[in-house]
Amino acid sequence: MEMDRESGKLEQIVSQFRSKILHVVLDSRVPSLHRHQQQDSLSLSRVRKTDKWFNLVLGDRPPALENLNFSLRNLLDPMVIDIILVRHASCSSSVDNLYSPSAAAAAAGPSTETVIERWVVQYDCPRVFASPSGADASVSYKKIYKKCILLLRSLYTQMRLLPAYRIFRQLSSLNQTYNFDIVYKVSSFSHPFSREEEDGMKEYSFAPVEALPGCLCVSVTYHATLSDFNLEPLVSLPPKIITDYVGSPTTDPMRSFPSSERGAHATSFPFRGLRPPSSAPFQRPHSWSSGFHRGIPPTKTQSLAGSPPVYRTSPKPYDITSPPTDLYGNRIQNHRVSILQQATAYDEYKLSPPFSPSASPSTPTYLSGANPLLTRHCSETAPVTIPLPPTGRSNRYLSPNSSDPSRHSLPPLSPRSSKHDTSSQESPSGIRSYRKIEALRAGESPSGLSNLYSAPKVVRDSKDDSGRFSGLLSSSGSPRIGFSRSSSRLSFQDDMDDCEFSCPFDVDDVDVSDSSSQNTENKRSSEFTAQSNLVGKKSQDAAVGILVHMLRTAPPLRQDSSCYSTRSLRAEYEGGVGIASGFFMPRKTADALEELNSYREMKDLLLSKSGTQVRKEGMK
Amino acid sequence: MNCEVCQLKELEVEHFEIREVLRCILHTIVFHRALGLVRPKDVDLELFEITYVQCGDVELEKKIDEKIDQFISWVEKHPNKKSQICLSFYEVKSKQPSWFTNKTERLYWEQWYANLNVTQQPKQHSSKSHLTKVVVDPGESANEERSSRRAMVEASLREVLFQIIKFVNEKKDHVPPISEGVIYFPYEITMPRKFQ
Repeated sequence: MEMDRESGKLEQIVSQFRSKILHVVLDSRVPSLHRHQQQDSLSLSRVRKTDKWFNLVLGDRPPALENLNFSLRNLLDPMVIDIILVRHASCSSSVDNLYSPSAAAAAAGPSTETVIERWVVQYDCPRVFASPSGADASVSYKKIYKKCILLLRSLYTQMRLLPAYRIFRQLSSLNQTYNFDIVYKVSSFSHPFSREEEDGMKEYSFAPVEALPGCLCVSVTYHATLSDFNLEPLVSLPPKIITDYVGSPTTDPMRSFPSSERGAHATSFPFRGLRPPSSAPFQRPHSWSSGFHRGIPPTKTQSLAGSPPVYRTSPKPYDITSPPTDLYGNRIQNHRVSILQQATAYDEYKLSPPFSPSASPSTPTYLSGANPLLTRHCSETAPVTIPLPPTGRSNRYLSPNSSDPSRHSLPPLSPRSSKHDTSSQESPSGIRSYRKIEALRAGESPSGLSNLYSAPKVVRDSKDDSGRFSGLLSSSGSPRIGFSRSSSRLSFQDDMDDCEFSCPFDVDDVDVSDSSSQNTENKRSSEFTAQSNLVGKKSQDAAVGILVHMLRTAPPLRQDSSCYSTRSLRAEYEGGVGIASGFFMPRKTADALEELNSYREMKDLLLSKSGTQVRKEGMK
Repeated sequence: MNCEVCQLKELEVEHFEIREVLRCILHTIVFHRALGLVRPKDVDLELFEITYVQCGDVELEKKIDEKIDQFISWVEKHPNKKSQICLSFYEVKSKQPSWFTNKTERLYWEQWYANLNVTQQPKQHSSKSHLTKVVVDPGESANEERSSRRAMVEASLREVLFQIIKFVNEKKDHVPPISEGVIYFPYEITMPRKFQ
């Protein structure tokens, strides 16, 4: 009886010792598990039952760990923990990769896995033994326990001194994403290293702890240096505020944007829909595109990719999204971890805060926002980021202040995207939650990704309807500033399209004299367009264009000839930009001459006003 | 019970590196000797790419910082001298009470000696630059020298930490049993005799 009780104690010590080591190793090597533990700030203050073992408070054990303990419950089997470095190959740069993880995975190319550390925990026990009994046993177990504590202390310290800790810290950093990932594999057996793998690896064995009848042995085989693995951060271009985009009030609307010297075919006319100018590689990033271009030569920032990763990442001035390469890590991990672990990891995924449904809507805006996938480190494209003004200045950029015409540096938001102020502040957390989602790929099932990637698909589906596009963003709660700008750009373009923009002289569908229309948000963008074209650098061509438009839109004389009068024309004109009515068909020559004179006067007035007209929208 | 002594590898450090280096070494040792319930706290060094672990006790941190301050002020008064800082762990034993004494006795069971050689930074050779025809930027070479020196110190510090881990692993029998409710063993930090 006593022997059973004592052997039970020993079994408990050995079992808990293995669990503790596993917890320490995974917490110091797998970013996803480490972050999951850190998120629960409330839990950090309390001491759990598991923390008390070996007097080392580590926080919540990942659920995967519990399942592993179950699957490796034969204490006489070794516990082998492989820390695997997954390096992602260069990927193709396609907008579709944004919304289709499978496409991204297919396009990304094969990834390379290397075991960079192998921890082996084993209880070496002879088959025939005599366990101590009585008082000796009690003293013995206290000594064993004390020695286990000492071993764990030194293991904990050593985890932070080995080379893999640096890349773990890099991956844990939220400010940077990399072309690699760390996953783990726990098993009761180990595939021996090949000669190639053994080269460059060192071994360290902790002093065994006598735990009669056997002894606890812990050893580690690790790569002495990871500099050969070409681990790089994914670089993106710094954010750039574009002020001379098509339609900017500071830009001559008739001006083309020549880029012929760069071999591109820029156009000042907005194009319909969201087709990126794939055939015309633009050097100048356009805020209204999806942000992804082909053929743009690499910039200086991309040359940084060759430099070794920095140990301590400082906050960068720009955000870098993590590519959906986690899919790789996740897929690989599915092969690695036990089924029990996988299932439990999935449960963890479903329950943990980053994967709550409310978090997922924020991800599409992040995906296609400031620095999406443009930041891929690829040879064939230069990623372009949609500029992200800081939150503090967001109001200035996003609320078209009609009282200050000079501040119309950006197009107005589409109606629903005016909720930027609060939602843009949420976006960092959206990014963080997205990054957590990315990072937590390790050890988790692929089905957990469905929440993450279903949202982008929704975005893509709604892309064709620009009006709903921005609405979708704002309803999600965290539209990025750059993104909402692009959506407003879309609505702006559609308004332009609605105006039958077919020749240089057809400028705008103007109706600024109708003050009631200004109350309608839908009119605002077209009104802004009209005003921006009228005021400032108004050319004679534009005036003629207006005239021609008046001629075209004038109702037939026979319908309401009685309405025609020079006076009415004048009145309308003085109210703003006049709209012709009853232009045609004076019955007599005198009437015709009179009409001609009135038009001459109109023309003169138009021309005189073109240089002195005050921006009416400033008054509104 | 015999007293185990560990002489740590000597480190050549500059004055401004003393605090970080000593914090790293002393806290690492104490973490291995704080066998009560601790919540480990990772601390990144600012000067080196090393992370060490503290046991998270505020009082202990204060005490260690005080002793480091004393050490630094001594070094300032005695520049260019090798110095030691000693971290000792002891058990309190009450002596046999007599008429005259009722003292408690300290039985030291472990002593760690951190050996530092504090050097002064050599002056820049910037005055020579104007004499050479080829314009050489003295800042660059000084930076390279500084960074290589820094790398050496970092490697040495890492060796010292591994030395601590090795010692802790190999010698466990002399460590006294853990008392209930006690986080770390009684310790003292001293600056023993200084030598050239």
